[in-house]
Amino acid sequence: MSLGIDETTLTGIGGRTGVGRRRVRTRSTIAARRVHSAGVGSASPIVLAAILCGVQVLFGVAVLVANWSAHPLPLLAAAAWAVLLFAEATLAVIVSYNGERLPTGLFVFFLAALGVAVLLDLVSIWSVEDIGGYASASIGAGFALLLAIAQRRRREIVIAIAVLGVALLAAILLTTPLTAATLPSQLIALCLACLPAAIGLYVVGGFRAIVQRALDRVLVQSTIAGPRLAFGMLASEELARLDAAAEELLESVADGRRPLPLDAASASRAATIATELRLHLLDGRKQSWLYHAVSESEVLGPTVRLSDPHTLAGLLDQHQRDGLLTAVWLLSSELQRTGISITLGPVRPQPPGAPQDRRRLVPIVIEVEGSSRGGVDPATWDELSKVGTFHDSVKQQVLRVEIECWVADPAEA
Amino acid sequence: MELMGKERDRLAQRSVRFVGLAGAIIALLCMLLGGGVEPSSWVATGPGWLLLALALTAIERSGSVAWPIVGLLGGTAVLVALLLIEPLPLGEGVAVGVAALAGGAMPAFALVLAAGAGRSVVLGLATVSSVVLVELLTGGATLLTPYSVAVGLGWLMFAILGYWLRVSLLRITGRIESIGRAYRAERQASEREAQRRQNARLLHDTVLASLTLLAHSGHGVNAEAMRSQAGDDARLLRQLKTSSVPDSAVTILNAAEPVDETPLGHTLESVKQRFGRMGLQVNWHGSARLLLPAEVLDAFLRAISECLENVRRHAGVPEAHVTISDDEHVVRAMIMDQGVGFDQALVDEGRLGLKESVVARLQEVGGSSRLFSAPGSGTTVVLEVPKS
Repeated sequence: MSLGIDETTLTGIGGRTGVGRRRVRTRSTIAARRVHSAGVGSASPIVLAAILCGVQVLFGVAVLVANWSAHPLPLLAAAAWAVLLFAEATLAVIVSYNGERLPTGLFVFFLAALGVAVLLDLVSIWSVEDIGGYASASIGAGFALLLAIAQRRRREIVIAIAVLGVALLAAILLTTPLTAATLPSQLIALCLACLPAAIGLYVVGGFRAIVQRALDRVLVQSTIAGPRLAFGMLASEELARLDAAAEELLESVADGRRPLPLDAASASRAATIATELRLHLLDGRKQSWLYHAVSESEVLGPTVRLSDPHTLAGLLDQHQRDGLLTAVWLLSSELQRTGISITLGPVRPQPPGAPQDRRRLVPIVIEVEGSSRGGVDPATWDELSKVGTFHDSVKQQVLRVEIECWVADPAEA
Repeated sequence: MELMGKERDRLAQRSVRFVGLAGAIIALLCMLLGGGVEPSSWVATGPGWLLLALALTAIERSGSVAWPIVGLLGGTAVLVALLLIEPLPLGEGVAVGVAALAGGAMPAFALVLAAGAGRSVVLGLATVSSVVLVELLTGGATLLTPYSVAVGLGWLMFAILGYWLRVSLLRITGRIESIGRAYRAERQASEREAQRRQNARLLHDTVLASLTLLAHSGHGVNAEAMRSQAGDDARLLRQLKTSSVPDSAVTILNAAEPVDETPLGHTLESVKQRFGRMGLQVNWHGSARLLLPAEVLDAFLRAISECLENVRRHAGVPEAHVTISDDEHVVRAMIMDQGVGFDQALVDEGRLGLKESVVARLQEVGGSSRLFSAPGSGTTVVLEVPKS
């Protein structure tokens, strides 16, 4: 019996274990983010797409009406427009009332309807030997893809654009003699069919990235209000998970589902849970807000190396934390940065003649690889000055910023 | 959220370049393939094309309104040069190229012009002049050719896109800020939760003890006792999960009466049961209600538990008494046994594990401990913790 009891005292477990940087993101956090970004990033594109499609439909139908007498099969072309309009209206209405979601079934139906419209349109103008000059609903189908951009995967839209482009190209090559007189309108027709959705993908993709980064930023920003040392979201969930695992194991022993003496697998599971639980209960699991900010962020995580062995970052007040975090954020958001390292400390003794106001100097050094001073967003310097007085230098493509950061004396705090 | 505005502007600038260069290249291709223009027109339009290309390239790096103006002046210069040199109306191939320039490449700048009064004026002027110039270039007898209408619609669509980029981001900013507030709340809650679990040390001590026994398959332990202990521990963990003990709340514990339905109450009871199973009868005395902050109470109970463990191992008696009392400032526990005792002068406190497990833990919460013992006359430990 004494075996068990000897090990109950956590202080008996020797020293602190090295806690490495963890890149593991908890599932719930990631899921929460996906939900957020899906909701936030694609909120209004459907309205925009509907407006743009509407403008194009008006123009396309007007041109068709104006050319009615010159058109070989105007009724078939009109039928193509009817199919297209029906598909667009159905999609726009359902997506708007369906919480901005576009189910796969509806998307397939939509694409099929676009295909029918393109087919009708191409058949109606097959005989004129100038697809580019007469295509109308086919180009409308290209614009119609805008409606689905925010709701569907990029790949699906790209494939749809490619299929439309190939169909038009094939029709042109099969029917239209390519001369100086016809070539430009064929080219323009192809571009008008394919480019709007491509531009839409480009803009919506960039927009999504902005929203994703902004969400990452507010997540990271929430760390600065924390205490000097905190467990962090990951540790908290981990501890809850371990408690739940222990509960499950103990319960199954209590109700006899796992008979005593335990089999080797269960015994090893008990040992594992006990070990992890001990590690988690040890003091020293707490880290500074900056550590949590870097390890939880998808933007900062891959680029920033933090060296803060004495968790001095916790001593910074909120204003300084905000400045430091924003500056690092700005530095890491520029492209072509290979790495940023942040080093805090060691605390230097007060220089002689320094004001005796119970403050301590924490030197902070930020090194940015592959950077020049000119490539840095000017706002970065404003943010850095919130942290303290700083001076910067560039040596061999490494931008080095040294900050003199005054903090309240930890002994007094 | 100023950052988001900057990123949005950068996205708009990049899009201008993407769309504008694509439009310009298509326009040039159309003019080249569509029968071409007079050689003198190429010379005359050259500077305009260059200005347009320069502005479209530079705009990615600079948000200045100068670049859209330079680019639009370049495009307009191309149109004017064609108007002056080419025979009118333009042939179909060149007309298509002109429409691509005036309705695709130039309107790309609308993405950064659909904002503010000054920029909107530039946008309006450019739209009108493009439509009028294309109408003059392509129009014969009829008013409003499809080309000039298409150019007007091109401007309209890009202006709408530029406006949307601006407005929807403003809307999203508000939502993201509320998500940020949710994150802060979530973080605080998660921190409190972690602290609460971390604070439940006594509970985790007993759980770890059980797990360690199970790690050795439960050999050498009475199976019934093991199951019973596992059941108790599982129940405690369940309660830890469901209880809503706030961070520094006061936990009420009545040591004499049947314990309250609180995790710590159960913990106290389980301490008794645990030692009972191991052959040490623990008797609680005193009717004081303990009003202590959770972490102090936890350290206090852990220290008691540690002392009882020493009694079990070294005293050689089957019974111990714990008396809990309090006054204005401190809560006191006296752990007594009638066991073998020891000579305090001869036995180092450290050897008993008291230094680490009891003294250090109590000191963490501002408490203290004293030990009295002599060979043959039992041992008494007095533990004290402050009430606030």
